[in-house]
Amino acid sequence: MKQIMLITDGCSNVGESPIMAAAVAQQEGIIVNVVGIVDYGTIGELGSLEINEIAKAGGGMSQLVGTKELAHTMQMVTRKTVVQTVQMAVNRELRHILGDQTLEDLAPDTRSQVVEVIDELAETHPLDVVLLIDVSASMKPKLTAVENAIQDMMLSLGARQGDSRLAVFHFPGAHSGEEAVMDIDWTTDLHAIKNIFGKLTTRGATPTGPAIHKVTEFFRYGTLGTESQPLWSEENLG
Amino acid sequence: MILSSKLSLSPGTLITGRFKGSRYVIQRLLGQGANGVVYLVNKVGSGKQYALKMGFDNIDIQSEINNLKALHKQGKKQATAVIGSEALPYLLEVDDYIAQEGTIPFYVMRYIKGKALRAFLVHRGSKWMRVAGYSLLRKLQQLHAAGWVFGDLKPENIIVSSYGEVELIDYGGVSAIGRSVKQYTEWYDRGFWNSGSRVAEPSYDWFSFAVITLHMLAEPSLKRMAEQLPQTRSTGDLMSIIDSEPELHPYKTWLMKAIHGQFHSTNEACQLWKEQILLTSVKPRHKERNTPRWMLGAFVASLVFLLGAVYVSLGF
Repeated sequence: MKQIMLITDGCSNVGESPIMAAAVAQQEGIIVNVVGIVDYGTIGELGSLEINEIAKAGGGMSQLVGTKELAHTMQMVTRKTVVQTVQMAVNRELRHILGDQTLEDLAPDTRSQVVEVIDELAETHPLDVVLLIDVSASMKPKLTAVENAIQDMMLSLGARQGDSRLAVFHFPGAHSGEEAVMDIDWTTDLHAIKNIFGKLTTRGATPTGPAIHKVTEFFRYGTLGTESQPLWSEENLG
Repeated sequence: MILSSKLSLSPGTLITGRFKGSRYVIQRLLGQGANGVVYLVNKVGSGKQYALKMGFDNIDIQSEINNLKALHKQGKKQATAVIGSEALPYLLEVDDYIAQEGTIPFYVMRYIKGKALRAFLVHRGSKWMRVAGYSLLRKLQQLHAAGWVFGDLKPENIIVSSYGEVELIDYGGVSAIGRSVKQYTEWYDRGFWNSGSRVAEPSYDWFSFAVITLHMLAEPSLKRMAEQLPQTRSTGDLMSIIDSEPELHPYKTWLMKAIHGQFHSTNEACQLWKEQILLTSVKPRHKERNTPRWMLGAFVASLVFLLGAVYVSLGF
């Protein structure tokens, strides 16, 4: 299972539509979840509308929270969407076997067995999550909370029985044209997540769409796929 | 998913099961858990009272029902039910209610009379934590022995009868040992205090229960510690509360072991609670070892008199 979790506090303002980027990601089998941080009321009506739409297009969930609830919300959203993804796959299979029936139409005893299978898969299926962090100027005071939430997230992922990996990206990069920058490559190590945003200079623009696009490419090729980097490397071949 | 606002049913509403046809009349709202809403109901026909839980989400509530069923089955095998101390089964019936807004899954369980832990302690006095705590640990011991961890242990999920007997409610957070804890509440979560993993193991429940004890007996200190920056929260914070609160003194050894996960088993945790906390509360009081202050005073005074008398008798 592949998931992107976008953490932002406002509206995108540069580049392609993030809603379309999320729809493309979903086409490639990546769920896009969005957590909007509302600490200083900067998110606005437009921002919350966009967050909602990105999650819808990406087949995931969206939540608006304060930094205090950030860690718990990220865990909850991830878990729920994992269950949802499994449930959708199971429902597809059920339709295959039972015609037009879904989980809701099953009698309690049969339903109980199906949910047992869903729970089992949700716990044991491998899971890759990319955290995509908006570091535009207004996010600066919230980055410590974000970093703590990332550590907390790693703790929850590490407790799963299935293999779970986490990678961290932020956007925008230091230079224009650098839509998203990788901070941590796939890891299962809680201690890898320390002082990620320490020496970061935040910028004003919020290119959410291009950033989602970049991360989708990362899922596709295992690298960022910029001109300076080859699309494949010898490690990838081996 | 059905929103909680749609689940506010007024007293008198008739709930008819879609598959089994049983009918229940809603009396009042009992409470709201993470996965659903619980009502006090009357079963039409027998007139008996039950608790009926409606789920927000099909999978979550079914998952909870599966946990209850598994516990129930194990209980029967072992001849001692893991949940429910009475003959009446905890899980009575599972069905769907067809409301205007959609189909809502529900299950019916035994109605447990009692107060949530905090209200119980307000009513009886905080010393009764010793009794309720022991009963709770015995419940956890049964659960752990059967291969499960409660997970989302919190004061609201602990229902206490008039004389301190505990029942746990809301089995939505129950996980098999070795899996991940799927539902938790921050203050009582080991991860929140940077004190260990979120893997479901008996020590996860011990930790939660230790923090609950701190919460019940030393709330202001716990609150202060919980509001620190996340990266600085630690086991040491909890230890410093234990050291500084006189009310926690009898619990000290037990709490230290629970927070560090140092019991070999929940059975050992039960034994230690019994020996160090439960039984000491009813021991006859020791005779006061120190000489009372008034007696000391009187002694000094009599000395002065004696010296005075000697002085007077020698002087003349």
